[in-house]
Amino acid sequence: MTERHAFRAMGTEIELLVDCGGDAEAQLAAAEAEFHRLEALLSRFREDSELSRLNAAGSLDAGPDLVRVVELALAAHERSRGLFDPTVHDAVVAAGYDRSFELVPPEDDEWAGAPMPMDRHGHRPMAIHVSRARIELSAGVRIDLGGIAKGYAAERAAEVLASAGPCLVNAGGDIATRGGSWPVGVETAGEPLTLELSHGSALATSGRDRRRWRRNGYELHHLIDPRTGAPSAGDLLRVTVVAADAVDAEVAAKALFLVGADRAADDANASGMPAVLVTNNGHTILAGGLG
Amino acid sequence: MTSHTGRLYALALALVVFFLSWAVLAARPWATSTPDARLRTLATREAQLRREAALVRALVAQRWATYHARLAARKAAIASAKAVAARQAAALATSAAPSPSPSVRVVTLPPLTITRTS
Repeated sequence: MTERHAFRAMGTEIELLVDCGGDAEAQLAAAEAEFHRLEALLSRFREDSELSRLNAAGSLDAGPDLVRVVELALAAHERSRGLFDPTVHDAVVAAGYDRSFELVPPEDDEWAGAPMPMDRHGHRPMAIHVSRARIELSAGVRIDLGGIAKGYAAERAAEVLASAGPCLVNAGGDIATRGGSWPVGVETAGEPLTLELSHGSALATSGRDRRRWRRNGYELHHLIDPRTGAPSAGDLLRVTVVAADAVDAEVAAKALFLVGADRAADDANASGMPAVLVTNNGHTILAGGLG
Repeated sequence: MTSHTGRLYALALALVVFFLSWAVLAARPWATSTPDARLRTLATREAQLRREAALVRALVAQRWATYHARLAARKAAIASAKAVAARQAAALATSAAPSPSPSVRVVTLPPLTITRTS
């Protein structure tokens, strides 16, 4: 029997599924509590979160979760050759995503189109230094962990929920699993596709089709290209990636989104990373062994 | 004259005999020489320490031999594990062509959940 539990956290809908013979209420509650706990630590929209305090002070003796997520972000930055960049905080804010997404006005003509306050050309050393529990940011640098925190939270919640049985955690499209086989629907340009995840694999989707808004007639979204400091203007609408865990999937989905359809398909095929690419002009590309 | 000189010689000899006797008596040759108690204690302690040092040397030698035997066994185990790992890596590198990830496949089942842009 599959038990289902849904709630809101981290600015999105969270869904927990668990296959169990008996009552999994306690584990479901614990998994939900894990999301709320991590949101309280990692949200850039809460002034009292560890992340906000780090951004305000420039350095912090942080707890293990923030340290771990920052370390994962630094590793993702290296692995993606700079395409995944947690220091785009100011660029996201400059683009208008300066509050929880539900509160961002969908249209606004008063926005002046603030320039991106960063000078970025290619992969450069990261301005974050972690030493044990101490995180230090270079002067003027603030970080946004929105590109990785949901995947991390999904993995942590799946760990909690797994004690009740095979489970799936869907954090607004970032999916972690433990045990069992899980058919997951993926939106494409046409009919939805169903991918069956097994062996604890994970999946994540990144795109410009939901967290978007308009300013002075220009459509903006939350996926900042660190090479330009502006919302990506590539030819992809949405990318779904399957990987070993939700953090890797989330990072890979963003990196593929930023490089555009052709190179994303080549990269996914070369690395054997299953990916579903949906282009702006309505094409769906299956890559990395899915085709 | 002769008798006067003789008396002088006799007096000198008597004096010599007297002082020699004095010196012999002052030396108390009849007293038995007993060693100092502190020296005896030190000697006992020295003997004890020598025995303990010998024991420690034997123990260290035994442990050193055991350590060397275990080290040799451990090195052999590491070499064996490295050889197995190298064989496995070679087998992986030369195995059949890479297949799509076994952890995902396209199915026609109704989905239990849907992934959307987060």
